[in-house]
Amino acid sequence: MAVNEHFKAFRTATKLGWQIESNWTDPLLFAVYSVIKPVAASLILVFMYLVITRGKTGTELFAYIYVGNAFYIFVGNVLFGISWVIHDDREHYEMLKYIYLSPIRIYIYLLGRGMAKLFVSAISVAIALVFGALFLKVPLGLFEIDYPYLFGALLIGLAGIIAFGIILAGVCLITARHSGGISEAIAGAFYLLCGVVFPLDVLPGWAQAIGRALPSTYWIEAMRRAALGEKIIGVSQLLGRLSEGELLLVLLGTTIGLVIFSHLFFKWAEQRARHRGLLDQRTNY
Amino acid sequence: MRASALSTNLRAIWARAYVRVVGANRELSWLFFDTFLPLLGTAAYVFIYKAMQAPPEFTGFVILGGAMTAYWMNVLWNMASQFYWEKEMGQLELFLIAPISPMAILLGMALGGMFMTTVRAGAVLILGSLIFGVKFTVQQPLMLALIFFLTMAALYGLGMLFASLFMLYGREAWHLSNLLQEPVYLLSGFYFPVRGLGFWVAAAASLIPLTLGLDGIRQLAFGGRGWGFIPPEWELAILALLSIAFISFARRALRLMEELGKREGRLTLRWQ
Amino acid sequence: MHPAIEVIQLKRLFRKKQARRAWRTVVALEGIDLEIQEGELFGVLGPNGAGKTTLIKILATLLLPTSGQALVDGIDVVKDPHEVRRRINMVSGGEHSGYGILTVKETLWMFSQFYGVPTKVARERINELLRVVGLEEEANTKINRLSTGMRQKMNFARGFVSDPKIVFLDEPTLGLDVGAARDVRSFIKSWVKERPGKTVLLTTHYMTEAEELCDRVAIIDRGKILACDTPENLQRRVKKESIFHLEVEGLDSWDGLKGLPGVRQLAATSRDGFTELRFILEHEDVLTHLLSAIAEQGSRVLYLRKTEPTLEDVFIELVGRSLEVDTTER
Repeated sequence: MAVNEHFKAFRTATKLGWQIESNWTDPLLFAVYSVIKPVAASLILVFMYLVITRGKTGTELFAYIYVGNAFYIFVGNVLFGISWVIHDDREHYEMLKYIYLSPIRIYIYLLGRGMAKLFVSAISVAIALVFGALFLKVPLGLFEIDYPYLFGALLIGLAGIIAFGIILAGVCLITARHSGGISEAIAGAFYLLCGVVFPLDVLPGWAQAIGRALPSTYWIEAMRRAALGEKIIGVSQLLGRLSEGELLLVLLGTTIGLVIFSHLFFKWAEQRARHRGLLDQRTNY
Repeated sequence: MRASALSTNLRAIWARAYVRVVGANRELSWLFFDTFLPLLGTAAYVFIYKAMQAPPEFTGFVILGGAMTAYWMNVLWNMASQFYWEKEMGQLELFLIAPISPMAILLGMALGGMFMTTVRAGAVLILGSLIFGVKFTVQQPLMLALIFFLTMAALYGLGMLFASLFMLYGREAWHLSNLLQEPVYLLSGFYFPVRGLGFWVAAAASLIPLTLGLDGIRQLAFGGRGWGFIPPEWELAILALLSIAFISFARRALRLMEELGKREGRLTLRWQ
Repeated sequence: MHPAIEVIQLKRLFRKKQARRAWRTVVALEGIDLEIQEGELFGVLGPNGAGKTTLIKILATLLLPTSGQALVDGIDVVKDPHEVRRRINMVSGGEHSGYGILTVKETLWMFSQFYGVPTKVARERINELLRVVGLEEEANTKINRLSTGMRQKMNFARGFVSDPKIVFLDEPTLGLDVGAARDVRSFIKSWVKERPGKTVLLTTHYMTEAEELCDRVAIIDRGKILACDTPENLQRRVKKESIFHLEVEGLDSWDGLKGLPGVRQLAATSRDGFTELRFILEHEDVLTHLLSAIAEQGSRVLYLRKTEPTLEDVFIELVGRSLEVDTTER
């Protein structure tokens, strides 16, 4: 298929994803929903911190935790947005077989469908960061953020998250729809292993090793550095040793590795699903 | 001889629970994704407290909260939204034309789902306690069991209430559940003692059965009431009232929603 | 003794949302009356969108009527739906519901429990039903491994596992191949025959199915019952007229043929350059004028047949078009 046909398919899938994401209610309610979710998720950590420190939020550690948690919204949402499409289209709308019958690439379709979640996540992250800056003394300055570094790291990091979403989509192809919690469970594992809300140093050695193999670890750290600058370098000894350039390089390298792996895994899962006739199965109970 | 309504409903509960149990055993991927991985998510909160140098009992709080998450997720996604999925699959109308109460179907789903849920909760509790060295000093085990039981009764009553909304409002209800997930983690004090929210907020949050249930279990499981919101005896009484209230509301709401659905012709309408 | 099903001035309106918050009202049922006696195999025949499924859903207690009354086994479906449900079951055509991960036997057992059937009795009934519908060998196969026809047969068996007093069959052979459809019809016939006191309400848009199976047929269109009688009596309505089927090549327009003296009704369908015409003529002599008119247009008659009136002819007589014309959107 020519490039513009791929683009057309991507655009259509994006439109479809947006409709499914948003047309269940009027725009105002959708906007309220999009605000409440990220703020509530951030507030869990805030209250955990407040209970222990008895009210002090203007610290390096708090900024480290809060900003990491805010950017983490991308991880959970994009993983879900891409992988859930398989179960939803296969078992709910029964359309997956027709997508496979058409000449569009499944990656293009999954990516397009996931774009809505990506867009909503971006807004959620922005809201969470603004909330933190305005009410919780998180030292975020509009003119102090390293925007080129931020967007560069964001793009590479999103590629890694999308790659993981593709892996999960492959898993969904060959498993039953028990509860739709696959992506959430994986996101939970990232929460633990990628130094999202605490320095990686806190983990035991073997867990640190796993964390250091994951692109998201470097991505979260890069995003924190871009947003908060050198203020938080001292929080994690392990990652603090890396300069911005080295961080970006490691992020790029691990992401490339993950993208390759995700492609190979998805292809295998797809073959398996076709062999076992799973592309149009229903497994909900 | 015509079966009595009670025996028919009991059979329906058993039959629907059977589907859940059999389904879980036929495809075991959930053991990894719904049991092992959530343990990692819970562990993340343990490490957050370690990074903050929190007192050691907070590890126990988090482990208990992580275990109870399983029940909340089961109520929200495997029970409340299930009528929505049944409608999408074309099963709901077959349930509704049978001479059984929708509550029997929901109870069957809940009991069947308990199997998976309890495995998940148990894994988090046992493995989490072993890995992080949590020590329980259970006082009044009977009271603890009663609080747990009443929390489940009230929680599943709440789930039935949500199920009535899901039956009719489909996607809106799905998004509502999605929306409720994190706020409930926050307001119920899944990962921190709920009294940290302040008295009035915690009091309002007590409408969610897990708030008082978790608080009571923590107080009784760790042998101290330093972090408790209100005495466990009060929590037991309130949970008993909540159980009765939610189950009664659920019964009415299910009837109301069914009537509304029949009037508006939406009981069998897919993809709303 | 009360009828098995009684419908009195039953009306059902739907409000449908259009673009920009505008609503329009669709009349699905327009004050219909029906009486079905115990032991009858009653058919409701009509095109898509006629109101057949709406009627079944009201009787099956899934939908409330806007006005009027519906009684199933003497019980009001609005006032006491629970009692109605003890006595009924339903099978919808094209149904693919089911938990894919369960086997055929498990699914049928589950539904039997919803009707309070003791497990021992349920097992015997399930074995018998599977034998009758030809699914014995698939008893332990998971639903997601069944073909469409097998799934429909399983759903069929599900509708009878509770041994209901009244069964609603909503287009039960929809989407089935010829063999499977034949098996299903044969099952329906024998089930009613062997169980006096059981009643079947069958909706269909297949004429031959209604002719073959039903003791009486109601013809419904656009929410109204146009006629209700035995298939033979309905056919007698058009018997005095002559009915001809023609296949014509090169016919550009048939409007002129409709206006010919003696032509009562004309239905036409064009396919691949050929036109099939079905005429109801007041008397046979009109045929000569008709053939001349066709020849004057330069068309060629390839095929000519005189037939006995069918239910489709009755339908055309009553409605003025064939059953194939979709009336889903009004």
